[in-house]
Amino acid sequence: MKQQELLNIPPLTEGIDRVDGRLKVTGAAKYAAEFEVPGMTYAVFANSTITKGTIKTIDTKAAERAPGVLAVFTYLNAPKVPGYQTGGDPSKPPSGGGPLKLFVDNTVKYNGQPVAMVIADSFERATYAASLVKAEYTKEPHQTDTSKVLDKAATPKGPRFADYKRGTPDDWQSVPVKLEAEYVVPIDVHNPMELSAIIAHWTADDKLTVYDKTQGVKSTQNAIAQAFKLPPDNVQVTAKFVGGAFGNALRTWPHEIAAVMAAKQVKRPVKLVLTRDMQFYTVGYRPYTWQKINIGATADGKLTNLVHEARAQTSSFEEFTEGTVNMTRFMYACPNVGTIYKITPVDVNTPTWMRGPGEATGAFALECAIDELADKLNMDPIELRVRNHADTDPENGKPFSTKYLKEAYQMGADKIGWQNRKSKPRSVQEDGWLIGYGMGSGVFGAGRGRATVKATMQSDGVLLLQTSVTDIGVGTGTAMTQIASEVFTGIPVSKIKFELGDSSLPPSPTQGGSMITSTVGGAVHDACVALKEKFQQLIGNGGTDKPDYIQVLKDKNIPQLDVTITSSGNSEMRNFSSYSYSVHFVQVKVHPKTGVVRINKVVSVADSGHIVSPKTARSQVIGGAIGGIGMALMEEGVIDHRFGRYVNADLANYHVPVHADIPHIEALFVNKPDYKVNPMGAKGMGEIALIGMSAAVANAVYNATGKRVRELPITPDKLLG
Amino acid sequence: MKQFQYVRPANQQGVLAAIAQPGTKIIAGGSNLVDLMKHGVMAPDKLVDINKLPLRNISGISNGLHIGALALNSQVAEDQQVKTKFPLLSQALTAGASAQLRNMATVGGNMMQRTRCPYFYDTAMPCNKRAPGTGCGAKEGFNRMHAIFGFSDKCIAVHPSDMCIALAALDATVLIQGRKGTRHLKFTDFHRLPGTTPELDNNLAKDELITGVEIPNNNFAQHSYYLKVRDRASYAFALISVAAALDIQNGIIKDARLAMGGVAHKPWRLTTAEQLLKGKPATVATFEQAAQTAMQGAKAFKDNAFKLQMAPASITEALTHAAGLV
Amino acid sequence: MEDQNKGFEAESNLQPKDNPRRDFLKKSSLLTAVALTPAVAVKAAENHLDEKVAAVFEKLSLDVTVNGVAHKLSVEPRVTLLDLLREQLHLTGTKKGCDYGQCGACTVHVDGHRVNSCLTLAMMVDGKKVITIEGLANGDELHPMQEAFIKHDGFQCGYCTPGQIMSAVACIREGHANSEAEIREYMSGNICRCGAYPNIVNAIQEVKNGGQKV
Ligand SMILES: Cc1cc2nc3c(=O)[nH]c(=O)nc-3n(C[C@H](O)[C@H](O)[C@H](O)COP(=O)(O)OP(=O)(O)OC[C@H]3O[C@@H](n4cnc5c(N)ncnc54)[C@H](O)[C@@H]3O)c2cc1C
Ligand code: SF4
Ligand code: FES
Ligand code: FES
Repeated sequence: MKQQELLNIPPLTEGIDRVDGRLKVTGAAKYAAEFEVPGMTYAVFANSTITKGTIKTIDTKAAERAPGVLAVFTYLNAPKVPGYQTGGDPSKPPSGGGPLKLFVDNTVKYNGQPVAMVIADSFERATYAASLVKAEYTKEPHQTDTSKVLDKAATPKGPRFADYKRGTPDDWQSVPVKLEAEYVVPIDVHNPMELSAIIAHWTADDKLTVYDKTQGVKSTQNAIAQAFKLPPDNVQVTAKFVGGAFGNALRTWPHEIAAVMAAKQVKRPVKLVLTRDMQFYTVGYRPYTWQKINIGATADGKLTNLVHEARAQTSSFEEFTEGTVNMTRFMYACPNVGTIYKITPVDVNTPTWMRGPGEATGAFALECAIDELADKLNMDPIELRVRNHADTDPENGKPFSTKYLKEAYQMGADKIGWQNRKSKPRSVQEDGWLIGYGMGSGVFGAGRGRATVKATMQSDGVLLLQTSVTDIGVGTGTAMTQIASEVFTGIPVSKIKFELGDSSLPPSPTQGGSMITSTVGGAVHDACVALKEKFQQLIGNGGTDKPDYIQVLKDKNIPQLDVTITSSGNSEMRNFSSYSYSVHFVQVKVHPKTGVVRINKVVSVADSGHIVSPKTARSQVIGGAIGGIGMALMEEGVIDHRFGRYVNADLANYHVPVHADIPHIEALFVNKPDYKVNPMGAKGMGEIALIGMSAAVANAVYNATGKRVRELPITPDKLLG
Repeated sequence: MKQFQYVRPANQQGVLAAIAQPGTKIIAGGSNLVDLMKHGVMAPDKLVDINKLPLRNISGISNGLHIGALALNSQVAEDQQVKTKFPLLSQALTAGASAQLRNMATVGGNMMQRTRCPYFYDTAMPCNKRAPGTGCGAKEGFNRMHAIFGFSDKCIAVHPSDMCIALAALDATVLIQGRKGTRHLKFTDFHRLPGTTPELDNNLAKDELITGVEIPNNNFAQHSYYLKVRDRASYAFALISVAAALDIQNGIIKDARLAMGGVAHKPWRLTTAEQLLKGKPATVATFEQAAQTAMQGAKAFKDNAFKLQMAPASITEALTHAAGLV
Repeated sequence: MEDQNKGFEAESNLQPKDNPRRDFLKKSSLLTAVALTPAVAVKAAENHLDEKVAAVFEKLSLDVTVNGVAHKLSVEPRVTLLDLLREQLHLTGTKKGCDYGQCGACTVHVDGHRVNSCLTLAMMVDGKKVITIEGLANGDELHPMQEAFIKHDGFQCGYCTPGQIMSAVACIREGHANSEAEIREYMSGNICRCGAYPNIVNAIQEVKNGGQKV
């Protein structure tokens, strides 16, 4: 790569402080369970202790009599949720199935499924009363072990998931160098620090306010409105702060509907906070996925064949799918490519997207396989990747809108000191520890959806931006403020207010899929431009670019000026393939005797267009890297399949990284705009920050030890022997 | 959690009277008991808060150090006398839990903390320790964290403490107060093996109070090391832990103490290995030999076979550190 | 029963709170029985006495100073300090991330020491001083650690943040912030799922090196 090109990278500014920082550091930021509503009651679930079967008897008498109890709901007495009755033949789930409906019948579909809900006047009393609910079950044989039913996996419906074939991927006759390997990513659980929570408060017979942990207030509003057959406007959903989610609040889960139902029945506000173990049982997880990669190349490292097959779990009542194998189709220039994706039902709740969703799972397999191939070819893994760089999208022949993957390889390699890597594994030892380097790359689609933003210039000179989007921690408010300040040059950041997390605001999509900066940012940009134009029209020709807005409003005798703009991507986008890329580099040390792995250094490089909010962007990349380290080294939801229950459904036994696991992390940005996607030239980075990281760690562990671990997580036991 | 009574006696007499009643439990820091009560694993009718008792002192005694049962784990770890005389104990304590929890956890509570076996914690699963006669969920189940020594047919759980491993190695004595008087128990005799009564973790009677521990002076302060191998770098229970203490003179091991955690229902003292070390040169070869000796009789289950390899490696590693060879 | 109470109950001042119905209940023989035997409580419930009976007999008086404000409260002994703060005192800055001592989100200072409020029974802070995140700033003037967290972006979603900050302040006060490695070890009781660790360490180092009083 040419050195000048690297030098052209614009320097990143420091970026502004998080606009909601003060609220967060003082404890004033209010999360779902923290709103005060007079007359609050508390809901606590009693959960199934069997995995599959029916409830034979359920005794709620003791619970009902316990002090402070207002109601106990089970399938026997729970009022019907009106929207639950719609649809065709209830015995036949619609294609793709649907989420579980709580308290509608006596069936148990997974362990931990709520079978009763107690409402009491205090949290302690509700919790105690819930423990008094006694259920007897008729058990049916269950299967929770996905690895045992991989052969029953089937292709999900829909063109996205059909087997993909380019060229003759199955013809291996004349392939000089071949490699076949199987990889397993176990169940990973989102485990955001904030527990799933909702406060449901009916303010009238047909009106309610809901404070909910959700990534999308609009989608929650619609889901509740549909379930209770209300006009959406009658359902007010608020999510001002969301304590992390990573995907587990993308959809409306049954517990949310149950809380709303209960509040209606007891005629008081109901607060429901799921316990930590319920985060494992009932609000989704990254599905167990088995993968096989067959890869072939010429002796000089040109890929000839690449076949990627994935089989993953879903629930018995609902299809869950994700893009596990998709990146294999376009990541490398390879003439013969095949992908196969299948799912298999087991008796657990439905999985859901978890940060970097299927792509993170797929990238673990693909990016390890590339590393294994490089090893076999005795070639530097970056060199192998560069030799197979896809200059245009091999899946559809389209040009990339922008792609600076090679620059990203180089930036990261320089920063971590890749030249110190020895290609022969287990050749560096320091103070009794084996040292190794590894890298892996990630990719995720960069699009732009539709969003509506209202921009108001107030008489006090404050620019108010409003839209319903939530901020789950990524710094949306901060990025939007920065975008607005780039349009309205001259207005200090402190005079820009971004209001979000409320369903009564103009609609934005659900926070997820790395789309928000592009989508909402695009709309904020467009709204700001429109508002500026409106001012220009008001002032007339010859107005300055930076008028004194307060004065203009005063002169024209109008209290404020506003525009509401709905915008989305332009049609030109369809002629391009648009992706964000990441490249992760790690240096690990492994203790050869105990198998302990420590991460020494991390460099993550993002090619995600123009970086609009450098400070929060850096945090996001660092956070994604840490999520990837957790996935690589310690995360696994373990089920005892005899019982169908988790044996580590808490934060002491399901390990996520702690401070001591994490070194200083370098986040680098290519920072070259992609104006095809949106006017800021910005692309998402929430997912790519994690995608590819687990492969980088696994590859580094291999380089350090000579041991290839293909089943995550890489715990010390797997490195012994 | 069910409703319970809560009392805070002002003196030892009051405590002893209270705990003699059925259904009562002592609460000290609460960091284990409250957790177990929230899980429904323990459900006392009455809590007896012992924090008014003057048992927080750490003080020198003629032949060693006395540590009160209510001394906090953080307080002991930071104590100057402990750090200079028994750095092994300080290290072990610091390797346990988190800074916050160590500010709550007491010496007595730490000794009495119960196993972290997931079946013990989940009332929907079988466990002989929690509900005698229901079977051991772990034996045929997920037993990655479980014992390789001293288990029984009824229970294969391990004691989760770090502090106790060091105290076992340091020949500590437990001071116990009952209504009839005081008794002393060797630390290594305090915890029990599961045998046929896994519901009993130790040999403290229901109506007895731990008042403190005493550690005799020794010559190990120069050469001791606590090694804890775990799934993440901190805030995790041990897969294997080793407390190693050596008295080395002119390169020869005069005396040795070794105990292991994460391997048995009680702190696992390795006396045969200690004997082997005595009189030998302090070299890695010696340590490896001791480690092999220590592993005699070990037996693994489905998920914890790695411990058969990790344990001796950890013993060697800990001894090597203790000897200052790293 | 009587006998048993004599030794200590009076000394520790654990009397039920005043209540309008107390006289009636005192006369009633339910007085001691209810608190001890759930069966009787259930019977009381059937006679529609449950709420009142439970409220009186299950609560104990608690004197605690939170962020400099003295509170005279009446709580059930099973209430944790965390739930007391969040649900009764509406100090929701202290977070519940697990409820089992496994995350550190609930970290507060009790008499100057950081503890997990989720495993601390409220009754056990009787007579003590509790400081929560809401009590850290000096009016409008943020504590240096709060400033440093903002400057170094030591958070994303903000949910672990109050616990991190309370822990960080204690970490320096305890003298455990002398190196990056030491900070990491002594902050490991505070999990941040968003992964703000490196930024948090930077914030702590800045405050520590700045030498301000924490
Ligand atoms: C998330 C988490 C992680 C942890 N990690 C570790 C770890 O890595 N290593 C480790 O060693 N520990 C660890 N612990 C356990 C912790 O050390 C214990 O919870 C603590 O030591 C218990 O002390 P306590 O004073 O709080 O006991 P309490 O909870 O008050 O009491 C525990 C038991 O001891 C009894 N008891 C207390 N004092 C006395 C006495 N004086 N006489 C008689 N009986 C008494 C009580 O009746 C009760 O049954 C962890 C705990 C948690 C929650
Ligand atoms: S090992 Fe012991 S504690 Fe665990 S399930 Fe078996 S009996 Fe219970
Ligand atoms: S809520 Fe207290 S440690 Fe998690
Ligand atoms: S900032 Fe979200 S958990 Fe730490």
